[in-house]
Amino acid sequence: MSEELASTNNRSKNQALVTYVALPFIFLTVALLGGLRVSTEGHAFIFLPPSLITLVLAVLLVLLFVRGGLIEIRSLISGANPPLTNVTHSWMLLTLFFSSAQAFNSVLPERGLLHWLFSFFFLWTLWNNQFSSFNARRLLRSLMVLFGTAFVLKHMLLASLYSADGGWLKRVTGALVSGVTLGALDAEQFAPATGYISFFTLGLYLVGLILISFSHPQTTSSDLALMSSREE
Amino acid sequence: MQNRFIQIIGLALSAVYATAIIWIYATEPRSFKEVATGAQVAVGTYQVDQEKFNAALTLFRRDQFRAARDEWQRADSAQSDPRTQFYIAYSYYREGWGRVYYDQDLFKQGIEAVNRAIALSPTPLAVDDENLQMHTAAELKAELEQGTERSWGDVNPLKILRTRK
Repeated sequence: MSEELASTNNRSKNQALVTYVALPFIFLTVALLGGLRVSTEGHAFIFLPPSLITLVLAVLLVLLFVRGGLIEIRSLISGANPPLTNVTHSWMLLTLFFSSAQAFNSVLPERGLLHWLFSFFFLWTLWNNQFSSFNARRLLRSLMVLFGTAFVLKHMLLASLYSADGGWLKRVTGALVSGVTLGALDAEQFAPATGYISFFTLGLYLVGLILISFSHPQTTSSDLALMSSREE
Repeated sequence: MQNRFIQIIGLALSAVYATAIIWIYATEPRSFKEVATGAQVAVGTYQVDQEKFNAALTLFRRDQFRAARDEWQRADSAQSDPRTQFYIAYSYYREGWGRVYYDQDLFKQGIEAVNRAIALSPTPLAVDDENLQMHTAAELKAELEQGTERSWGDVNPLKILRTRK
């Protein structure tokens, strides 16, 4: 009986650590790195705050998390929870929102027609997904594919096409694409470190989402209620 | 009780982290060195590199204004010391000053620097340097602004008799 109690106690502690410490830190790190680029000249940092479209995409994504059951708003923020728990859960959701915006920021081209093309495809996919039946696991898999595709397109395909260090064929193709479209498909060039930062950022974001799915919020809340009743 | 402690600690630490992130995005440092300098400015421990400042002052007194500005910019990389910014503005003034005409670009940069100096100084900025003829930022600003304004007085031939301050 005491072993069972100790096990519940440990589980509750670990879930609290994940929900209240690890998740906000992971999401804030994503928010920090999602807008970070490294310039080709002098390898200077460039910080790009989330654009309006990334905030819209983040809203749709968070709605999808709620619809897919990854986040249970009713158990996270409820009148039955202690005020501090509601505040910390709201804070975690806020960090999730901004990290989602910055995750999009990380894989969206910075300007031009490509920025809008990518934004449109994200918007279209997320809007369609609002009306599909999802569970948390399927949603996570779908997001991995979505962000993975965008990452490959932006940081591998486009970066290679417009790279100044690339072969002549790549440069000619890049120049032709840019010339034919009168500069509308022009892409900003960054140092290769930008791609690595984006890869790490997206990886961290997905780890955060997986952690949310493991630390089921309803269990956390009930455990907290159990713990507080025991303390009383 | 332990969970509540974890909640409070998590909330406090992540709030500090979030503030740091907002600060980074607001100040846009370009390197880790600038992050460190910016943090020093924010904490209030930032100090100008005195050796570089003195080297710049020596160059300034030898009328090597560009070299002096380079040194001052290195000495005050965060552009947060009002005295250094005052001297930078003064170097723009002296370099841009001409008996027949004033260099407008240099004077405009001088105005930017003196405005920075005024904004950084909590009290009216005065520099006690016997080699200068203008000791306050307000005087310097007025002189620089006067140099960028166009008036009929510009065609006055007696203008060549004026002296550099």
